[in-house]
Amino acid sequence: MSDNKKWYTLDLGLNKKKSTSSSCGCGNSQGSCTSQAQQTKEEELSADEFYERAVNAAIGDERKKDGFEQVFDVKMDRRDAFKKLTASLLIGAGAVSSCTSITKDSDSKEKAQIDWEEQFKGNYKLMTDDEKKSTVDRLMRSYELRTGKNINMSSKNAEEDVLFGYAFNISKCQGYMNCVSACVEENNQDRNSQMQYIRIHEMDDGKGFNFNEADDNYYHEVPAEGHFYMGTQCFHCDNPPCVDVCPVQATWKEEDGLVVIDYDWCVGCRYCMAACPYDGRRFNWSKPEVPENEVNKNQHYLGNRMRKKGVMEKCTFCVQRSRKGKNPACVEACPTGARIFGNLLDPKSTIRWVLENKKVFRLKEDLGTEPKFWYFMD
Amino acid sequence: MKNRNLTFYLLTLVAMSLLSCKNEGEYHSITDKIEAKQKPYHGNLSSEELLADTDLITVKEGEFTFLIPERKGQIKSYACIECHSKPLEQMSNSSFDGKRAHWDIKINHASIETMDCATCHNPKNMNNLNSLTGKDIDFNLSYKLCAQCHSSQFEDWKGGAHGKKVAGWAPPRASMTCVNCHNPHNPSFDKRWPVQFNTQKVIERQEGLDGAEEH
Repeated sequence: MSDNKKWYTLDLGLNKKKSTSSSCGCGNSQGSCTSQAQQTKEEELSADEFYERAVNAAIGDERKKDGFEQVFDVKMDRRDAFKKLTASLLIGAGAVSSCTSITKDSDSKEKAQIDWEEQFKGNYKLMTDDEKKSTVDRLMRSYELRTGKNINMSSKNAEEDVLFGYAFNISKCQGYMNCVSACVEENNQDRNSQMQYIRIHEMDDGKGFNFNEADDNYYHEVPAEGHFYMGTQCFHCDNPPCVDVCPVQATWKEEDGLVVIDYDWCVGCRYCMAACPYDGRRFNWSKPEVPENEVNKNQHYLGNRMRKKGVMEKCTFCVQRSRKGKNPACVEACPTGARIFGNLLDPKSTIRWVLENKKVFRLKEDLGTEPKFWYFMD
Repeated sequence: MKNRNLTFYLLTLVAMSLLSCKNEGEYHSITDKIEAKQKPYHGNLSSEELLADTDLITVKEGEFTFLIPERKGQIKSYACIECHSKPLEQMSNSSFDGKRAHWDIKINHASIETMDCATCHNPKNMNNLNSLTGKDIDFNLSYKLCAQCHSSQFEDWKGGAHGKKVAGWAPPRASMTCVNCHNPHNPSFDKRWPVQFNTQKVIERQEGLDGAEEH
Protein backbone atom coordinates (compact mmCIF):
# COMPACT_ATOMS: atom_id res chain seq x y z
CA MET A 1 0.00 0.00 0.00
CA SER A 2 1.34 3.38 -0.85
CA ASP A 3 1.71 6.00 1.81
CA ASN A 4 0.12 8.86 -0.07
CA LYS A 5 -3.34 7.42 -0.42
CA LYS A 6 -6.32 9.70 -0.40
CA TRP A 7 -8.57 7.72 1.88
CA TYR A 8 -8.42 7.75 5.60
CA THR A 9 -6.79 4.80 7.26
CA LEU A 10 -7.39 3.75 10.80
CA ASP A 11 -4.13 2.47 12.19
CA LEU A 12 -5.04 -0.89 13.66
CA GLY A 13 -1.44 -1.89 13.99
CA LEU A 14 -1.93 -4.26 11.06
CA ASN A 15 0.94 -2.85 9.07
CA LYS A 16 3.31 -4.24 11.60
CA LYS A 17 2.30 -7.77 10.85
CA LYS A 18 4.88 -8.11 8.11
CA SER A 19 7.72 -7.79 10.54
CA THR A 20 6.24 -9.92 13.25
CA SER A 21 4.28 -12.39 11.11
CA SER A 22 1.23 -11.91 13.25
CA SER A 23 -1.93 -10.14 12.30
CA CYS A 24 -3.53 -8.69 15.37
CA GLY A 25 -2.24 -5.62 17.07
CA CYS A 26 -1.15 -7.79 19.93
CA GLY A 27 0.74 -10.20 17.74
CA ASN A 28 -1.76 -12.95 18.19
CA SER A 29 -3.74 -14.17 15.23
CA GLN A 30 -5.97 -16.44 17.31
CA GLY A 31 -7.38 -15.97 20.76
CA SER A 32 -7.70 -13.04 23.02
CA CYS A 33 -5.26 -10.19 22.91
CA THR A 34 -5.40 -9.41 26.59
CA SER A 35 -4.67 -12.89 27.79
CA GLN A 36 -1.19 -12.76 26.36
CA ALA A 37 -0.55 -9.07 26.52
CA GLN A 38 2.46 -9.56 28.71
CA GLN A 39 4.29 -11.50 26.04
CA THR A 40 3.95 -8.84 23.36
CA LYS A 41 7.02 -7.05 22.16
CA GLU A 42 7.40 -3.37 22.75
CA GLU A 43 6.32 -2.21 19.32
CA GLU A 44 3.10 -4.18 19.51
CA LEU A 45 -0.01 -2.93 21.17
CA SER A 46 -1.98 -4.20 24.07
CA ALA A 47 -5.74 -4.03 23.83
CA ASP A 48 -5.79 -0.89 25.92
CA GLU A 49 -3.18 0.81 23.78
CA PHE A 50 -5.05 -0.23 20.71
CA TYR A 51 -8.24 1.25 22.04
CA GLU A 52 -6.39 4.42 22.89
CA ARG A 53 -5.02 4.67 19.38
CA ALA A 54 -8.36 3.93 17.76
CA VAL A 55 -10.06 6.62 19.77
CA ASN A 56 -7.25 8.99 18.95
CA ALA A 57 -7.56 8.32 15.26
CA ALA A 58 -11.26 8.90 15.42
CA ILE A 59 -11.72 11.95 17.58
CA GLY A 60 -8.16 13.06 18.23
CA ASP A 61 -7.87 16.27 20.09
CA GLU A 62 -11.58 16.86 20.47
CA ARG A 63 -11.24 14.68 23.52
CA LYS A 64 -9.42 17.34 25.36
CA LYS A 65 -12.21 19.80 24.87
CA ASP A 66 -15.85 19.50 25.64
CA GLY A 67 -19.26 20.88 24.93
CA PHE A 68 -19.47 23.97 22.75
CA GLU A 69 -15.72 24.06 22.22
CA GLN A 70 -15.58 20.54 20.91
CA VAL A 71 -18.24 21.13 18.34
CA PHE A 72 -17.36 24.59 17.10
CA ASP A 73 -13.73 25.15 17.82
CA VAL A 74 -12.32 22.48 15.54
CA LYS A 75 -10.66 23.14 12.24
CA MET A 76 -12.04 20.70 9.75
CA ASP A 77 -13.88 20.69 6.51
CA ARG A 78 -17.04 18.79 5.85
CA ARG A 79 -15.29 15.76 4.53
CA ASP A 80 -13.06 15.52 7.59
CA ALA A 81 -16.02 15.91 9.84
CA PHE A 82 -17.83 13.10 8.10
CA LYS A 83 -14.78 10.86 8.28
CA LYS A 84 -14.37 11.41 11.96
CA LEU A 85 -18.01 10.90 12.66
CA THR A 86 -18.09 7.60 10.81
CA ALA A 87 -14.83 6.57 12.37
CA SER A 88 -16.20 6.98 15.83
CA LEU A 89 -19.28 5.03 14.93
CA LEU A 90 -17.17 2.23 13.58
CA ILE A 91 -15.11 2.11 16.67
CA GLY A 92 -18.22 1.43 18.64
CA ALA A 93 -19.38 -1.26 16.27
CA GLY A 94 -17.18 -3.03 13.80
CA ALA A 95 -13.53 -2.24 14.03
CA VAL A 96 -12.92 -2.87 17.69
CA SER A 97 -14.97 -6.01 17.90
CA SER A 98 -13.27 -7.56 14.92
CA CYS A 99 -9.78 -6.81 16.09
CA THR A 100 -9.91 -7.59 19.75
CA SER A 101 -12.52 -10.30 19.91
CA ILE A 102 -11.53 -13.78 20.85
CA THR A 103 -13.05 -15.66 17.95
CA LYS A 104 -12.12 -13.59 14.83
CA ASP A 105 -9.09 -14.68 12.85
CA SER A 106 -6.69 -12.81 10.62
CA ASP A 107 -9.02 -13.04 7.63
CA SER A 108 -11.73 -11.07 9.32
CA LYS A 109 -9.18 -8.48 10.33
CA GLU A 110 -8.08 -8.15 6.75
CA LYS A 111 -11.72 -7.94 5.77
CA ALA A 112 -12.22 -5.15 8.26
CA GLN A 113 -9.19 -3.34 6.92
CA ILE A 114 -10.44 -3.69 3.34
CA ASP A 115 -13.91 -2.50 4.31
CA TRP A 116 -12.36 0.43 6.07
CA GLU A 117 -10.30 1.49 3.09
CA GLU A 118 -13.21 0.92 0.72
CA GLN A 119 -15.41 3.04 2.94
CA PHE A 120 -13.13 6.04 2.66
CA LYS A 121 -11.86 5.76 -0.87
CA GLY A 122 -12.48 8.61 -3.27
CA ASN A 123 -14.66 8.96 -6.35
CA TYR A 124 -13.36 6.63 -9.06
CA LYS A 125 -13.48 9.47 -11.57
CA LEU A 126 -10.84 11.36 -9.58
CA MET A 127 -8.57 8.41 -8.82
CA THR A 128 -5.10 8.04 -10.25
CA ASP A 129 -4.37 4.81 -12.10
CA ASP A 130 -2.61 3.46 -9.02
CA GLU A 131 -5.60 4.19 -6.85
CA LYS A 132 -7.90 2.56 -9.38
CA LYS A 133 -5.70 -0.49 -9.32
CA SER A 134 -5.63 -0.72 -5.55
CA THR A 135 -9.39 -0.43 -5.27
CA VAL A 136 -9.96 -3.27 -7.74
CA ASP A 137 -7.28 -5.30 -5.94
CA ARG A 138 -9.08 -4.73 -2.67
CA LEU A 139 -12.42 -5.70 -4.19
CA MET A 140 -10.96 -8.88 -5.68
CA ARG A 141 -9.37 -9.80 -2.34
CA SER A 142 -12.58 -9.00 -0.53
CA TYR A 143 -14.54 -11.32 -2.83
CA GLU A 144 -11.96 -14.04 -2.24
CA LEU A 145 -12.17 -13.64 1.51
CA ARG A 146 -15.93 -13.71 1.48
CA THR A 147 -16.64 -16.48 -1.01
CA GLY A 148 -13.38 -18.36 -1.39
CA LYS A 149 -13.62 -17.78 -5.15
CA ASN A 150 -11.47 -15.61 -7.34
CA ILE A 151 -12.73 -12.93 -9.69
CA ASN A 152 -10.84 -10.88 -12.22
CA MET A 153 -11.64 -7.18 -12.03
CA SER A 154 -10.20 -4.63 -14.42
CA SER A 155 -9.76 -0.89 -14.05
CA LYS A 156 -8.82 -0.42 -17.69
CA ASN A 157 -9.18 3.18 -18.86
CA ALA A 158 -10.64 4.40 -22.13
CA GLU A 159 -8.46 3.83 -25.20
CA GLU A 160 -7.31 6.82 -27.19
CA ASP A 161 -9.00 7.59 -30.51
CA VAL A 162 -12.00 5.48 -29.60
CA LEU A 163 -15.59 6.69 -29.33
CA PHE A 164 -18.12 3.90 -29.05
CA GLY A 165 -21.32 3.94 -31.06
CA TYR A 166 -24.14 1.55 -31.78
CA ALA A 167 -26.58 0.98 -34.61
CA PHE A 168 -29.77 -1.07 -34.50
CA ASN A 169 -31.44 -2.46 -37.60
CA ILE A 170 -35.20 -2.36 -37.08
CA SER A 171 -35.84 -4.46 -40.18
CA LYS A 172 -33.69 -7.27 -38.88
CA CYS A 173 -34.79 -7.58 -35.25
CA GLN A 174 -37.22 -10.50 -34.88
CA GLY A 175 -37.86 -10.13 -31.16
CA TYR A 176 -36.11 -13.34 -30.07
CA MET A 177 -34.60 -11.54 -27.02
CA ASN A 178 -31.31 -13.44 -27.10
CA CYS A 179 -29.70 -10.06 -26.43
CA VAL A 180 -31.65 -9.63 -23.21
CA SER A 181 -30.59 -12.93 -21.71
CA ALA A 182 -26.98 -12.56 -22.86
CA CYS A 183 -26.92 -9.14 -21.21
CA VAL A 184 -28.25 -10.46 -17.90
CA GLU A 185 -25.69 -13.27 -17.85
CA GLU A 186 -22.81 -11.02 -18.83
CA ASN A 187 -23.58 -8.17 -16.48
CA ASN A 188 -24.54 -10.03 -13.29
CA GLN A 189 -27.94 -8.38 -13.01
CA ASP A 190 -30.14 -9.22 -10.05
CA ARG A 191 -32.00 -12.44 -10.72
CA ASN A 192 -34.66 -11.89 -8.05
CA SER A 193 -36.07 -8.69 -9.46
CA GLN A 194 -35.24 -9.90 -13.00
CA MET A 195 -33.53 -6.67 -13.83
CA GLN A 196 -32.89 -6.16 -17.54
CA TYR A 197 -31.05 -3.32 -19.24
CA ILE A 198 -32.45 -4.02 -22.71
CA ARG A 199 -36.11 -3.76 -23.59
CA ILE A 200 -37.43 -5.13 -26.87
CA HIS A 201 -40.62 -3.37 -27.86
CA GLU A 202 -43.20 -5.12 -29.99
CA MET A 203 -44.78 -2.42 -32.12
CA ASP A 204 -47.86 -2.57 -34.33
CA ASP A 205 -47.15 -2.27 -38.04
CA GLY A 206 -48.47 0.98 -39.44
CA LYS A 207 -48.48 2.87 -36.14
CA GLY A 208 -44.86 3.92 -36.13
CA PHE A 209 -43.00 4.24 -32.87
CA ASN A 210 -45.92 4.18 -30.53
CA PHE A 211 -44.37 3.32 -27.19
CA ASN A 212 -47.68 3.74 -25.38
CA GLU A 213 -49.20 0.85 -27.26
CA ALA A 214 -46.04 -1.20 -27.59
CA ASP A 215 -45.45 -4.31 -25.50
CA ASP A 216 -41.99 -4.91 -24.07
CA ASN A 217 -42.89 -8.10 -22.23
CA TYR A 218 -44.55 -10.31 -24.83
CA TYR A 219 -44.47 -14.07 -24.71
CA HIS A 220 -45.61 -15.74 -27.88
CA GLU A 221 -43.98 -16.97 -31.06
CA VAL A 222 -42.02 -14.22 -32.77
CA PRO A 223 -41.95 -12.46 -35.09
CA ALA A 224 -45.70 -12.06 -34.61
CA GLU A 225 -47.85 -11.21 -37.61
CA GLY A 226 -48.39 -7.46 -38.06
CA HIS A 227 -45.63 -6.38 -35.69
CA PHE A 228 -42.11 -5.10 -35.77
CA TYR A 229 -39.49 -5.07 -33.04
CA MET A 230 -37.04 -2.51 -31.76
CA GLY A 231 -34.76 -2.48 -28.76
CA THR A 232 -33.90 0.27 -26.30
CA GLN A 233 -31.18 0.44 -23.66
CA CYS A 234 -28.79 3.11 -22.43
CA PHE A 235 -27.90 5.21 -25.48
CA HIS A 236 -24.70 6.64 -23.98
CA CYS A 237 -25.70 10.17 -24.94
CA ASP A 238 -22.96 12.61 -25.80
CA ASN A 239 -24.91 15.20 -23.83
CA PRO A 240 -26.28 13.00 -21.07
CA PRO A 241 -28.96 14.59 -18.85
CA CYS A 242 -28.45 11.86 -16.24
CA VAL A 243 -24.89 13.05 -15.66
CA ASP A 244 -25.96 16.67 -15.26
CA VAL A 245 -28.47 15.93 -12.52
CA CYS A 246 -26.31 13.67 -10.37
CA PRO A 247 -25.78 15.57 -7.11
CA VAL A 248 -22.62 13.64 -6.16
CA GLN A 249 -21.02 13.15 -9.60
CA ALA A 250 -21.26 9.40 -9.29
CA THR A 251 -22.02 9.12 -13.00
CA TRP A 252 -20.06 10.63 -15.84
CA LYS A 253 -19.06 10.27 -19.47
CA GLU A 254 -15.73 8.59 -20.10
CA GLU A 255 -13.31 9.59 -22.87
CA ASP A 256 -14.52 6.75 -25.10
CA GLY A 257 -18.09 8.00 -24.76
CA LEU A 258 -19.33 5.43 -22.26
CA VAL A 259 -21.61 6.84 -19.59
CA VAL A 260 -20.64 5.00 -16.44
CA ILE A 261 -21.52 4.85 -12.74
CA ASP A 262 -19.28 4.49 -9.69
CA TYR A 263 -21.53 2.15 -7.70
CA ASP A 264 -19.58 2.98 -4.55
CA TRP A 265 -20.12 6.71 -4.92
CA CYS A 266 -23.80 6.57 -5.88
CA VAL A 267 -26.13 7.64 -3.09
CA GLY A 268 -29.22 6.19 -4.74
CA CYS A 269 -31.24 9.39 -5.13
CA ARG A 270 -32.49 8.24 -8.57
CA TYR A 271 -32.38 11.74 -10.05
CA CYS A 272 -30.64 10.23 -13.08
CA MET A 273 -33.43 7.73 -13.49
CA ALA A 274 -35.91 10.59 -13.65
CA ALA A 275 -33.72 12.62 -15.98
CA CYS A 276 -33.19 9.89 -18.57
CA PRO A 277 -35.73 10.32 -21.38
CA TYR A 278 -35.15 6.76 -22.58
CA ASP A 279 -35.73 4.69 -19.43
CA GLY A 280 -32.14 3.54 -19.65
CA ARG A 281 -31.38 3.38 -15.94
CA ARG A 282 -32.23 0.79 -13.33
CA PHE A 283 -32.30 0.93 -9.55
CA ASN A 284 -31.51 -1.83 -7.07
CA TRP A 285 -34.46 -1.86 -4.70
CA SER A 286 -33.05 -4.96 -3.04
CA LYS A 287 -29.64 -6.55 -2.73
CA PRO A 288 -28.79 -7.92 -6.18
CA GLU A 289 -28.30 -11.66 -6.08
CA VAL A 290 -26.70 -13.94 -8.62
CA PRO A 291 -26.13 -17.67 -7.97
CA GLU A 292 -22.42 -18.22 -7.41
CA ASN A 293 -22.04 -20.53 -10.41
CA GLU A 294 -23.68 -17.96 -12.70
CA VAL A 295 -21.51 -15.00 -11.67
CA ASN A 296 -19.50 -13.65 -14.58
CA LYS A 297 -16.07 -13.37 -13.05
CA ASN A 298 -14.56 -11.23 -15.79
CA GLN A 299 -15.46 -7.87 -14.39
CA HIS A 300 -14.71 -4.19 -14.67
CA TYR A 301 -15.01 -1.66 -11.86
CA LEU A 302 -17.35 0.48 -13.95
CA GLY A 303 -19.15 -2.47 -15.48
CA ASN A 304 -20.47 -5.80 -14.32
CA ARG A 305 -18.96 -6.09 -10.85
CA MET A 306 -21.49 -6.94 -8.18
CA ARG A 307 -23.65 -4.01 -7.19
CA LYS A 308 -25.26 -3.38 -3.85
CA LYS A 309 -28.69 -2.43 -2.64
CA GLY A 310 -29.73 1.15 -3.27
CA VAL A 311 -27.51 2.08 -6.21
CA MET A 312 -28.18 2.78 -9.87
CA GLU A 313 -26.93 0.67 -12.70
CA LYS A 314 -27.38 0.45 -16.46
CA CYS A 315 -25.94 -0.74 -19.73
CA THR A 316 -22.25 0.16 -20.09
CA PHE A 317 -21.86 -1.21 -23.65
CA CYS A 318 -20.20 -4.05 -21.67
CA VAL A 319 -17.18 -1.93 -20.70
CA GLN A 320 -15.42 -5.09 -19.51
CA ARG A 321 -15.65 -6.42 -23.06
CA SER A 322 -15.56 -3.36 -25.30
CA ARG A 323 -12.36 -1.98 -23.77
CA LYS A 324 -10.70 -5.25 -24.73
CA GLY A 325 -11.81 -4.94 -28.35
CA LYS A 326 -14.75 -7.31 -28.04
CA ASN A 327 -18.33 -6.57 -28.96
CA PRO A 328 -20.92 -6.12 -26.20
CA ALA A 329 -22.71 -9.33 -25.21
CA CYS A 330 -25.97 -8.24 -26.91
CA VAL A 331 -24.18 -7.73 -30.24
CA GLU A 332 -22.52 -11.11 -29.99
CA ALA A 333 -25.76 -12.86 -28.99
CA CYS A 334 -28.03 -11.35 -31.66
CA PRO A 335 -28.92 -14.15 -34.09
CA THR A 336 -30.10 -11.77 -36.82
CA GLY A 337 -27.20 -9.32 -37.02
CA ALA A 338 -29.48 -6.42 -36.14
CA ARG A 339 -26.93 -4.95 -33.76
CA ILE A 340 -23.80 -3.16 -34.94
CA PHE A 341 -21.14 -1.78 -32.63
CA GLY A 342 -17.91 0.02 -33.30
CA ASN A 343 -15.57 2.96 -33.14
CA LEU A 344 -17.19 6.16 -34.40
CA LEU A 345 -13.83 7.87 -34.85
CA ASP A 346 -12.48 5.25 -37.23
CA PRO A 347 -13.61 6.21 -40.77
CA LYS A 348 -13.09 2.61 -41.86
CA SER A 349 -15.32 1.07 -39.19
CA THR A 350 -18.58 -0.62 -40.14
CA ILE A 351 -20.60 1.62 -37.82
CA ARG A 352 -19.37 4.63 -39.78
CA TRP A 353 -20.44 3.01 -43.03
CA VAL A 354 -23.90 2.50 -41.57
CA LEU A 355 -24.14 6.12 -40.44
CA GLU A 356 -23.00 7.42 -43.80
CA ASN A 357 -24.89 5.06 -46.10
CA LYS A 358 -28.12 4.08 -44.38
CA LYS A 359 -30.96 6.35 -43.40
CA VAL A 360 -30.37 6.61 -39.69
CA PHE A 361 -32.23 8.35 -36.91
CA ARG A 362 -32.20 8.49 -33.15
CA LEU A 363 -34.95 8.55 -30.54
CA LYS A 364 -36.13 11.96 -29.30
CA GLU A 365 -33.42 13.68 -31.28
CA ASP A 366 -35.05 17.04 -30.58
CA LEU A 367 -34.08 16.85 -26.91
CA GLY A 368 -30.45 17.49 -27.82
CA THR A 369 -29.22 14.55 -25.79
CA GLU A 370 -27.13 13.36 -28.75
CA PRO A 371 -27.49 9.59 -28.23
CA LYS A 372 -24.71 7.47 -29.72
CA PHE A 373 -27.30 4.85 -30.64
CA TRP A 374 -28.78 5.02 -34.12
CA TYR A 375 -31.68 3.13 -35.70
CA PHE A 376 -31.85 2.22 -39.35
CA MET A 377 -33.72 0.00 -41.78
CA ASP A 378 -32.64 -2.17 -44.66
CA MET B 1 -13.52 44.30 6.41
CA LYS B 2 -17.01 43.35 5.36
CA ASN B 3 -16.59 45.13 2.05
CA ARG B 4 -13.35 43.37 1.34
CA ASN B 5 -14.99 40.03 1.92
CA LEU B 6 -17.82 40.95 -0.37
CA THR B 7 -15.45 41.98 -3.15
CA PHE B 8 -13.54 38.77 -2.70
CA TYR B 9 -16.70 36.69 -3.05
CA LEU B 10 -17.79 38.62 -6.09
CA LEU B 11 -14.43 38.15 -7.73
CA THR B 12 -14.44 34.42 -7.07
CA LEU B 13 -17.95 34.22 -8.48
CA VAL B 14 -16.86 35.92 -11.68
CA ALA B 15 -13.78 33.75 -11.92
CA MET B 16 -15.84 30.62 -11.35
CA SER B 17 -18.37 31.53 -14.01
CA LEU B 18 -15.53 32.09 -16.46
CA LEU B 19 -13.86 28.81 -15.59
CA SER B 20 -17.06 26.85 -15.92
CA CYS B 21 -17.19 27.62 -19.64
CA LYS B 22 -15.80 24.17 -20.27
CA ASN B 23 -15.15 22.48 -23.54
CA GLU B 24 -18.58 20.88 -23.72
CA GLY B 25 -19.85 23.41 -26.20
CA GLU B 26 -16.91 22.81 -28.49
CA TYR B 27 -18.99 20.80 -30.92
CA HIS B 28 -22.50 21.53 -31.98
CA SER B 29 -23.43 17.88 -32.38
CA ILE B 30 -21.99 14.42 -32.14
CA THR B 31 -21.56 14.30 -35.91
CA ASP B 32 -19.42 17.43 -35.74
CA LYS B 33 -17.38 15.86 -33.00
CA ILE B 34 -16.89 12.66 -34.98
CA GLU B 35 -15.85 14.63 -38.03
CA ALA B 36 -13.38 16.75 -36.10
CA LYS B 37 -11.76 13.97 -34.12
CA GLN B 38 -11.86 11.10 -36.59
CA LYS B 39 -8.74 9.24 -37.58
CA PRO B 40 -8.05 5.70 -38.76
CA TYR B 41 -7.63 3.49 -35.73
CA HIS B 42 -4.15 2.16 -35.12
CA GLY B 43 -4.50 1.80 -31.38
CA ASN B 44 -3.59 -0.94 -28.96
CA LEU B 45 -6.74 -2.95 -29.40
CA SER B 46 -6.98 -5.60 -32.05
CA SER B 47 -9.31 -8.47 -32.81
CA GLU B 48 -6.45 -10.67 -33.91
CA GLU B 49 -6.28 -12.60 -30.68
CA LEU B 50 -10.04 -13.18 -30.70
CA LEU B 51 -9.85 -14.41 -34.27
CA ALA B 52 -6.89 -16.69 -33.69
CA ASP B 53 -9.02 -19.84 -33.44
CA THR B 54 -11.05 -19.14 -36.57
CA ASP B 55 -9.88 -20.17 -40.01
CA LEU B 56 -10.29 -17.03 -42.12
CA ILE B 57 -9.72 -15.95 -45.68
CA THR B 58 -9.30 -12.43 -47.02
CA VAL B 59 -11.78 -11.12 -49.56
CA LYS B 60 -11.59 -7.93 -51.56
CA GLU B 61 -14.85 -6.52 -52.89
CA GLY B 62 -14.66 -3.07 -54.40
CA GLU B 63 -13.17 -0.71 -51.85
CA PHE B 64 -13.62 -3.19 -49.01
CA THR B 65 -11.06 -5.71 -47.88
CA PHE B 66 -11.96 -7.90 -44.93
CA LEU B 67 -11.88 -11.45 -43.58
CA ILE B 68 -14.59 -14.09 -43.78
CA PRO B 69 -14.60 -17.62 -42.31
CA GLU B 70 -13.19 -20.34 -44.50
CA ARG B 71 -15.99 -22.64 -45.65
CA LYS B 72 -14.72 -25.76 -47.33
CA GLY B 73 -13.12 -27.09 -44.14
CA GLN B 74 -16.50 -26.76 -42.40
CA ILE B 75 -18.48 -28.80 -44.93
CA LYS B 76 -18.49 -32.34 -43.59
CA SER B 77 -18.63 -34.15 -46.93
CA TYR B 78 -16.27 -31.89 -48.84
CA ALA B 79 -14.60 -32.65 -51.25
CA CYS B 80 -17.75 -33.56 -53.12
CA ILE B 81 -15.94 -35.48 -55.85
CA GLU B 82 -15.02 -38.14 -53.32
CA CYS B 83 -18.53 -39.46 -53.99
CA HIS B 84 -19.48 -37.50 -57.11
CA SER B 85 -16.77 -39.08 -59.20
CA LYS B 86 -18.95 -39.07 -62.33
CA PRO B 87 -21.46 -36.57 -63.72
CA LEU B 88 -24.76 -36.71 -61.84
CA GLU B 89 -26.85 -38.31 -64.63
CA GLN B 90 -24.53 -41.29 -64.71
CA MET B 91 -24.79 -41.68 -60.95
CA SER B 92 -28.58 -41.55 -60.64
CA ASN B 93 -30.23 -44.86 -60.09
CA SER B 94 -34.01 -44.74 -60.11
CA SER B 95 -34.34 -48.37 -59.03
CA PHE B 96 -32.58 -47.68 -55.70
CA ASP B 97 -35.13 -47.28 -52.90
CA GLY B 98 -32.94 -47.13 -49.74
CA LYS B 99 -32.02 -43.94 -47.96
CA ARG B 100 -30.20 -41.63 -50.32
CA ALA B 101 -27.37 -39.27 -49.61
CA HIS B 102 -28.56 -35.66 -48.94
CA TRP B 103 -32.01 -37.04 -48.01
CA ASP B 104 -32.27 -34.33 -45.38
CA ILE B 105 -31.97 -31.42 -47.78
CA LYS B 106 -35.24 -29.78 -48.73
CA ILE B 107 -35.11 -26.65 -50.79
CA ASN B 108 -37.14 -23.82 -49.37
CA HIS B 109 -35.56 -20.98 -51.30
CA ALA B 110 -37.53 -19.04 -53.90
CA SER B 111 -40.01 -20.84 -56.14
CA ILE B 112 -39.19 -23.81 -58.32
CA GLU B 113 -39.60 -21.62 -61.44
CA THR B 114 -36.75 -19.48 -60.17
CA MET B 115 -34.43 -21.97 -58.58
CA ASP B 116 -33.54 -25.61 -58.40
CA CYS B 117 -30.42 -27.52 -57.35
CA ALA B 118 -28.66 -26.77 -60.61
CA THR B 119 -29.04 -22.99 -60.12
CA CYS B 120 -26.18 -23.18 -57.66
CA HIS B 121 -24.63 -26.62 -58.15
CA ASN B 122 -23.01 -27.88 -61.30
CA PRO B 123 -23.96 -31.54 -61.83
CA LYS B 124 -20.81 -32.01 -63.88
CA ASN B 125 -18.48 -30.42 -61.33
CA MET B 126 -19.76 -30.80 -57.79
CA ASN B 127 -16.61 -29.41 -56.18
CA ASN B 128 -17.48 -25.86 -57.20
CA LEU B 129 -20.61 -23.76 -57.17
CA ASN B 130 -22.12 -22.56 -60.38
CA SER B 131 -22.97 -18.96 -61.33
CA LEU B 132 -26.04 -18.04 -63.38
CA THR B 133 -23.87 -17.88 -66.44
CA GLY B 134 -22.26 -21.24 -65.75
CA LYS B 135 -18.97 -19.99 -64.31
CA ASP B 136 -17.32 -21.73 -61.36
CA ILE B 137 -17.60 -20.15 -57.91
CA ASP B 138 -15.43 -21.47 -55.13
CA PHE B 139 -17.30 -22.77 -52.05
CA ASN B 140 -15.25 -20.38 -49.93
CA LEU B 141 -16.63 -17.44 -51.91
CA SER B 142 -20.25 -18.56 -51.92
CA TYR B 143 -21.39 -14.96 -51.20
CA LYS B 144 -20.77 -14.24 -54.89
CA LEU B 145 -23.50 -16.73 -55.69
CA CYS B 146 -25.98 -15.11 -53.29
CA ALA B 147 -25.06 -11.62 -54.54
CA GLN B 148 -26.36 -12.48 -58.01
CA CYS B 149 -29.93 -11.99 -56.80
CA HIS B 150 -29.57 -10.33 -53.38
CA SER B 151 -27.70 -7.29 -54.58
CA SER B 152 -28.92 -4.82 -51.96
CA GLN B 153 -28.07 -7.23 -49.14
CA PHE B 154 -24.68 -7.66 -50.78
CA GLU B 155 -24.06 -3.91 -50.70
CA ASP B 156 -25.06 -3.72 -47.04
CA TRP B 157 -22.93 -6.74 -46.19
CA LYS B 158 -19.84 -5.29 -47.83
CA GLY B 159 -20.22 -2.05 -45.91
CA GLY B 160 -21.04 -3.84 -42.68
CA ALA B 161 -24.73 -3.01 -42.23
CA HIS B 162 -25.88 -6.59 -42.90
CA GLY B 163 -24.52 -9.58 -41.03
CA LYS B 164 -22.48 -10.05 -37.92
CA LYS B 165 -18.85 -9.60 -37.12
CA VAL B 166 -16.97 -12.76 -36.23
CA ALA B 167 -15.42 -11.37 -33.05
CA GLY B 168 -14.81 -7.85 -31.79
CA TRP B 169 -15.24 -4.32 -33.10
CA ALA B 170 -11.50 -3.64 -33.28
CA PRO B 171 -9.66 -4.08 -36.56
CA PRO B 172 -9.00 -6.25 -38.49
CA ARG B 173 -12.58 -6.62 -39.63
CA ALA B 174 -13.85 -10.19 -39.90
CA SER B 175 -17.48 -10.60 -40.98
CA MET B 176 -19.64 -13.67 -41.17
CA THR B 177 -20.44 -14.69 -44.70
CA CYS B 178 -24.01 -15.42 -45.89
CA VAL B 179 -23.99 -19.16 -45.16
CA ASN B 180 -22.74 -18.69 -41.60
CA CYS B 181 -26.19 -17.43 -40.61
CA HIS B 182 -28.49 -18.55 -43.45
CA ASN B 183 -28.93 -22.15 -44.48
CA PRO B 184 -28.62 -21.77 -48.26
CA HIS B 185 -31.30 -24.42 -48.83
CA ASN B 186 -33.70 -22.76 -46.36
CA PRO B 187 -32.42 -19.24 -45.81
CA SER B 188 -35.15 -17.50 -43.85
CA PHE B 189 -35.24 -17.50 -40.04
CA ASP B 190 -37.90 -19.54 -38.27
CA LYS B 191 -40.55 -18.29 -35.93
CA ARG B 192 -39.76 -19.25 -32.38
CA TRP B 193 -40.42 -18.37 -28.76
CA PRO B 194 -38.44 -15.55 -27.21
CA VAL B 195 -35.74 -16.79 -24.85
CA GLN B 196 -36.88 -14.47 -22.07
CA PHE B 197 -40.06 -13.71 -20.23
CA ASN B 198 -39.99 -11.32 -17.32
CA THR B 199 -42.49 -12.61 -14.74
CA GLN B 200 -41.46 -9.92 -12.28
CA LYS B 201 -42.45 -7.20 -14.73
CA VAL B 202 -45.91 -8.78 -15.02
CA ILE B 203 -46.35 -8.64 -11.25
CA GLU B 204 -45.13 -5.06 -11.07
CA ARG B 205 -47.55 -3.99 -13.76
CA GLN B 206 -50.46 -5.75 -12.12
CA GLU B 207 -49.68 -3.92 -8.92
CA GLY B 208 -49.34 -0.66 -10.81
CA LEU B 209 -45.76 -0.24 -9.63
CA ASP B 210 -44.43 0.33 -13.08
CA GLY B 211 -45.62 3.75 -14.08
CA ALA B 212 -43.46 3.96 -17.16
CA GLU B 213 -45.77 1.96 -19.35
CA GLU B 214 -49.48 1.58 -19.04
CA HIS B 215 -51.53 -0.61 -21.25
